[in-house]
Amino acid sequence: MRIDPEKCIACGQCEVYCPVGAITIGDEHAEIDFDECTECYNCLRMADCPTEAIYQQKLEWPRTVRSVLSDVLTIAPESGISGRGTEEMKTNEVTGRFKHGWAGVGIEVGRPTLGARFYDVEKIAMAMATLGVEFERSNPTTSLMSDVKTGKFKDDVLKEKVLSAIIEFSVPLEKLDQDFAGLKEVSQRIETVFSLCVASRVASNGEIPTNEIMRRNNIWFAPNGKTNVGLGRPVFKED
Amino acid sequence: MTHTLHRVGNPESLSRDYVLLFMPSKDINHVGSGPKLRKMLEISLKNGAIRIGDCRLGNEYYQGGLDTLLEHVEDRAVVHAVFNDPEKMTAALKDLKAADLGISVVVSGLFGKVDDCCKKAGLTPHTVNNTLGRWGRTDRLPLQDVLELNTMCGHGMVTVKLIEDTAAKVKNGEMTPEQGAERLFKPCMCGIFNADRAAGLIKAMADK
Repeated sequence: MRIDPEKCIACGQCEVYCPVGAITIGDEHAEIDFDECTECYNCLRMADCPTEAIYQQKLEWPRTVRSVLSDVLTIAPESGISGRGTEEMKTNEVTGRFKHGWAGVGIEVGRPTLGARFYDVEKIAMAMATLGVEFERSNPTTSLMSDVKTGKFKDDVLKEKVLSAIIEFSVPLEKLDQDFAGLKEVSQRIETVFSLCVASRVASNGEIPTNEIMRRNNIWFAPNGKTNVGLGRPVFKED
Repeated sequence: MTHTLHRVGNPESLSRDYVLLFMPSKDINHVGSGPKLRKMLEISLKNGAIRIGDCRLGNEYYQGGLDTLLEHVEDRAVVHAVFNDPEKMTAALKDLKAADLGISVVVSGLFGKVDDCCKKAGLTPHTVNNTLGRWGRTDRLPLQDVLELNTMCGHGMVTVKLIEDTAAKVKNGEMTPEQGAERLFKPCMCGIFNADRAAGLIKAMADK
């Protein structure tokens, strides 16, 4: 995003809408730190700029990555849906993506509030890849990897900044302990934060099998979360 | 994984915060899903949803009103309804089950409360998604009261600066907590920001 200095009157209305604090208001006009801007469109949509000084410059690769992973109304071609993720557990009763005995893991790097550079996303992905995880193919973040076996990303995206990027994979429940250990280690080597989630099928007795795994690894989990109530059709039949 | 997850708050505050998400699945049941999704939003509104929203085209404010939002729901949209009362949400779930539209429904909220709602509505939880909190440089994050408001928009559009500016305006008497909550709702394109809960949180910030 850019601000036209000839039009801008430094009213400051846009400043509060930047989620990464990339807008500063000078004496005569506002300015966007182009390297920090994630192309989320929030300032353009919400600031009601009185002189229409905010404008979207032409987006070219690799900067296009910022828009796809930061602007909620941009449709990701890999998933076909708006937003940064996939259908994951939201449609699990019809897709069967996460079966009994498996867990879905989502590592949303940069969320909340800080944003992320892809060199940090890569650190986490490569740490997980050494543990043998297979990344979700329909996820837009996976599509930016140059090698899905190692979690290496394309060199030209490594310095790109996005509001968040989601590393997503499924693992057998018995491998979750080692993945948690890997995440604890790599979380010490990044400049940003990630929000972590784990999805699993509810057992026939109502138990959540991942809860015990989190407890024995001394991992806090919240009393709130998401529940798919199984109303989608046709229902996927597990073998 | 995902915008209605990772909401921060104490159990008392979260007990007034529920999001229903309605989503078709690509290549399985997405064809012709638009009218079904609209029906699900209408069922939610009839049962007392305080907000509805559409990830694909934006919230009611951005689209110019509730009628426009409902009219424009497309196949493959991801739409939501926000509730501040578990009893009303339970009634919506009962009606959604009876309507049998075949579209996936995900409830975000306190698991204990959601389980109760499901039981009363005759639904059996299929898959759950837990949030394991924030990892890494958590020392760089804002304070808890700011996070509680920020995380109600999972895409991060309700910014730290907007929250702090709004709380300051409420403190100075330039707007009421309810007006402040409306201001914060507007950037949340999916419409999942719970303005009712937010008004209380802003008031608490302003009273400090």
